[in-house]
Amino acid sequence: MSDSPVIEVKHLYKTYFMEGGNSQLVLKDINFTIKEGEFVAIMGPSGSGKSTLMNILGCLDLPTQGHYVLDNQDIETKDDKELALIRGKKIGFVFQNFNLMMKRTIADNVSLPLIYQRVEEKERYKRALQMLKKVGLLGYQKRPPSQISGGMQQRVAIARALVNNPAIIFADEPTGNLDSKTSNEIMDLFTELNKQGITIVLVTHEDDVANYATRMIKISDGYKVYDGLRKDYSKEKETRC
Amino acid sequence: MLKTIIKEAWISIASYKLRTFLTMLGILIGVAAVVMMVSAGQAVQLHITKSFSSMGSNRIFISPAELVTGGVRGARGLPSVTIEDVKALKNLKGVKTASYEGRSAVQVVYGSRNYGTSVYGTNPDILVVNNSEIEDGVMFTEKDVKSARPYAVIGQTMVNELFGLQNPIGKTIRLKGQPFKVIGTIKEQGDGLFGNDMDNFIYIPYTTLRQRLAGSERPKYVDMAYVVAESEDQIEAVSKRIEYLLRSRHRLKEGVKNDFQIRPMTDFINKVRNVGFILSTLLAVIASISLIVGSIGIMNMMLVSVTERTREIGTRKALGAPNNWIMMQFLAESILISFIGSFIGMIFGVIISQLAGSVLGFEVPISVWSVIVSVSVAVVVGVISGLMPALKAMRLNPIEALRYQ
Repeated sequence: MSDSPVIEVKHLYKTYFMEGGNSQLVLKDINFTIKEGEFVAIMGPSGSGKSTLMNILGCLDLPTQGHYVLDNQDIETKDDKELALIRGKKIGFVFQNFNLMMKRTIADNVSLPLIYQRVEEKERYKRALQMLKKVGLLGYQKRPPSQISGGMQQRVAIARALVNNPAIIFADEPTGNLDSKTSNEIMDLFTELNKQGITIVLVTHEDDVANYATRMIKISDGYKVYDGLRKDYSKEKETRC
Repeated sequence: MLKTIIKEAWISIASYKLRTFLTMLGILIGVAAVVMMVSAGQAVQLHITKSFSSMGSNRIFISPAELVTGGVRGARGLPSVTIEDVKALKNLKGVKTASYEGRSAVQVVYGSRNYGTSVYGTNPDILVVNNSEIEDGVMFTEKDVKSARPYAVIGQTMVNELFGLQNPIGKTIRLKGQPFKVIGTIKEQGDGLFGNDMDNFIYIPYTTLRQRLAGSERPKYVDMAYVVAESEDQIEAVSKRIEYLLRSRHRLKEGVKNDFQIRPMTDFINKVRNVGFILSTLLAVIASISLIVGSIGIMNMMLVSVTERTREIGTRKALGAPNNWIMMQFLAESILISFIGSFIGMIFGVIISQLAGSVLGFEVPISVWSVIVSVSVAVVVGVISGLMPALKAMRLNPIEALRYQ
């Protein structure tokens, strides 16, 4: 673990403007940094704003106010095209429902982000195999995802998130669609990847899942209410910070 | 990048085989229809042009002037061109030969058989004018014309209808009760432009026609005169010379209209070519309606596809796909569908029109137009019908797209 921050969020606000002129403040003055090699769980009840925060951190959305620096890049000044480029180069996404292309092979799914980096087909395939090996699915590359279990599908998605060698991995409820045994396997895989030095940000509302992370950021009503070691967390320590 | 996009698009459309095929079918049928219609138009044009050319494209027709002052348009005026005129025309510069005819429709009788035909009173030069050759026997001579001999030279229909397997040479046929001796037959000329029988005729000396079959108060005047120019490109010059010569021979003063009209064969050919072109265009326009229907089919399918693949689009965007890439991919899919559809449609169109041509006995040209039309149609249709869905895909918000169920 080094000290250089991968994510720096300062005074971040997000307001949604509704039709009819109403607006809703979803994130209020959020500040934190995430350093390289950290394993952070972002928690919060539904409607707390954690998904919005995740979307901003994942460069899918822009803050209304405040600064967000990802891997030394100012995100709030970027346009759509630059954001797409940053997502492709610096971020790996793992979704709750895997979001695999069911009509394509597993290798095609894993190598998909590399297409947008204009990596040659042969190289894409080679890298896909390396990633599949990492998640323990070497040998499945030519099958379609529909032929494997949900847990394995999520592994494919993790391999896909790793393939572009990102600065950070965002996992949004990665175990939400899995049974508890498979969930544990997936979380073990994340822990293993984190030990190899990969920075992971996990969004979840399940305590069991959050327990795999070392640090926890809790959002409630748009405010950050806890930021510290996961093992030190207790409800009483929550405060708008 | 382009190669990857096309490959991605190909894999996408190939994974929905039935749907892609059905969508393609619309364009396929449309292009096949256009190609067939264009081919049909061109076949007709070619057929007509060839028929005219076989009759000799360097012919010039000279007939009495049309009566344009009232009455039925196209009605002929009084005969104005004489045999002497034709003799003079024959000596003009650039003229290969000239001939003339007087016409009469008669019932020809041989033994117990009879048949309706046209009798042409003419001179031996008519063979050159009509590109005809003697099959058997001989043509009557200028001398026979002078002495108005009752000789007949007959076409192949006459041979078959009247004589069957007999040799007609030397036999006597009767026209309006008058006996004529068959001295020669003309080689088969086949069907004419409108399916008319080009072999159903009898040539007799002009003088004989006037004396025995179709008497006239002005026997020296012919119904129609023909001039054959030495080549097609001399037709215009020769036509002018003819006009000048005939006007001076007919002593027409300046300002007086011609009492004859000159119509080069090339005029007919051009007119017919124009008609053929208009016909082709019209047919192609009608056929392209099916192309429009086909392209609506593609647009519809692509719109459904974009909606269905909303999550995929969201995922691709989250994984770093730039907006223009998403647009290009969907555009590539629709272009690919219409391109493959039009290509197969073009092949079908060519094959079917060739088959139809060989069944109907028409020569159907394979035109580069078919290829150009179908390829450009493919691209245009693909772009037009793919643009709206592709833009829709491009504008999808990745967050909402990822949430789409």
